[in-house]
Amino acid sequence: MRRSAVTLVTLLAAAGALPAQEPAVTNSVGMELVLIQPGSMVVGRFQPPYPVPPDPNAAPPSPAAGAAAGRGGRGGGRGPSYTPEQYARLEAMAKAASAPGFSVTLPRAFYIGKYEVTQAQWKAVMKTNPSIFQGDRVTDDADRHPVDNVTWEDAQTFVRRLNALEKTSVYRLPTEFEWEYAARAGEEADTPWTVIRERAVAGYNSFFSTQVVGSRKPNAWGLYDMQGNVWEWVQDYYNEKLFADPTPPRSGKVRVLKGGGFAADVKNAIPATHAAGPGSKFDVGFRIVRDLKR
Amino acid sequence: MNQRWKLGAIAAAALATLASSVATAQVEGIPQGFTRLFNGRNADGWHWSRTVHHGTTAVAKVSDGVLTLEPYPYGQGGLLLTDKSYKDFELYLEALPDPAFNSGIFLRSTEGGSAYQIELVRPGNTGALLGEQLRITQPKYVGERVDVNTVWKDGEWNSMRVRMVGEAPRITLWINGTKMWEVETPKNDQIGGFYGGMIGLQLHWTATYTPGAGGFSMGLPWLVQRFRNIAIKEIK
Repeated sequence: MRRSAVTLVTLLAAAGALPAQEPAVTNSVGMELVLIQPGSMVVGRFQPPYPVPPDPNAAPPSPAAGAAAGRGGRGGGRGPSYTPEQYARLEAMAKAASAPGFSVTLPRAFYIGKYEVTQAQWKAVMKTNPSIFQGDRVTDDADRHPVDNVTWEDAQTFVRRLNALEKTSVYRLPTEFEWEYAARAGEEADTPWTVIRERAVAGYNSFFSTQVVGSRKPNAWGLYDMQGNVWEWVQDYYNEKLFADPTPPRSGKVRVLKGGGFAADVKNAIPATHAAGPGSKFDVGFRIVRDLKR
Repeated sequence: MNQRWKLGAIAAAALATLASSVATAQVEGIPQGFTRLFNGRNADGWHWSRTVHHGTTAVAKVSDGVLTLEPYPYGQGGLLLTDKSYKDFELYLEALPDPAFNSGIFLRSTEGGSAYQIELVRPGNTGALLGEQLRITQPKYVGERVDVNTVWKDGEWNSMRVRMVGEAPRITLWINGTKMWEVETPKNDQIGGFYGGMIGLQLHWTATYTPGAGGFSMGLPWLVQRFRNIAIKEIK
């Protein structure tokens, strides 16, 4: 009995099916990485809210409801008034534009950076620092800010040198789907703005520089700054569409950026946002993925 | 034909003549010494921002010398940027926005749309100086300010000319040839210490991707923004 159990464990481990990995690890340059388990998500869901006519039987809004004023979405309270024809056209247009998205399965577990790559980590690997937000442009420890002003090619150079430093080949940029899966952390619906404001260094005229990594609340899987602070490079080419295709393009002019930077808005500092380079330089960085050893 | 009808017809004809002369006389055209930023045939020299929150997939159409910016898909606007960057300049353009459409002219913009902005929305705050993802430190208005409602012609082409000079910029706005205001600023408010940036034409977003995000609606998603005769003179 005991012997067969050991055999089973051995077989499962050999097949890579056993989650015998640490839930979090720290590498030689102090980068903390969090284990992300396999799973699936829906990408590219587009259901734009549209204004609906006010309910004539509704009670007059209370002062407490003032915060909701201007929300004209379906089921979303008051908004600007339109004619019956305009309301009908808005509904028809929104429904015609809607798309259910598609399911994406992440078949393998992987580690992803708990934080964006910091300036200290960049310097440890590259011996340089391209960041705009260092020196007198920050009021605290720039080493703990994310590295900024990096191109996709710069990020690849960092990955190559980190692999060389640790004599391995496990480090790489995340794919767009890996990144979005880790950012969603099991959340199917788009993140409410109230939550974004707690999690993200982002928002209209709210931040004018990067901030120390991990300064806001983490997502459900313990990852920080997946929204805001710096835009993050991923491996994929950009398809020049609102969302990714089920199969990423094999070529393209620029690479995809995810997550929004400190100068992004709550509108686009969301996991679903499918943006692309070059970005504004001062708010472009990345985080890395580490493949499980086999 | 009774006398009253006849007078009415004459008055109507006179008004029509007046209206047409106003429509042709109100915009002064590209000033001498300016270089066209928009060639009137296509959007060469411009690109859409791929990181701005207003949207990344809007459409630029060109017909009869007019650049029309349309949201796509539902509620997703954008920011059309010049490929080149400018420090000190005078910008001239003519605008014909749909009523209630929220737009703006971005000055010294980054790719992501952090910029000084001249607001463009009717009815509304057209001609106001704003910071978009940028905070303007203590703008000081020098001299008289003119009420935009006295010069703006709804439903017609309106000219806008902006002069922006200095690292801590001094900005002057003219609408339809009338000087609206002049602003002094004590410092360069561009993020990260940059000096200069792109000219941008904003198409404000009106809907989020899904209701869960906020369910916020800012207007009608079929409205468009039209520009023509866009030209610049760099000041070295």
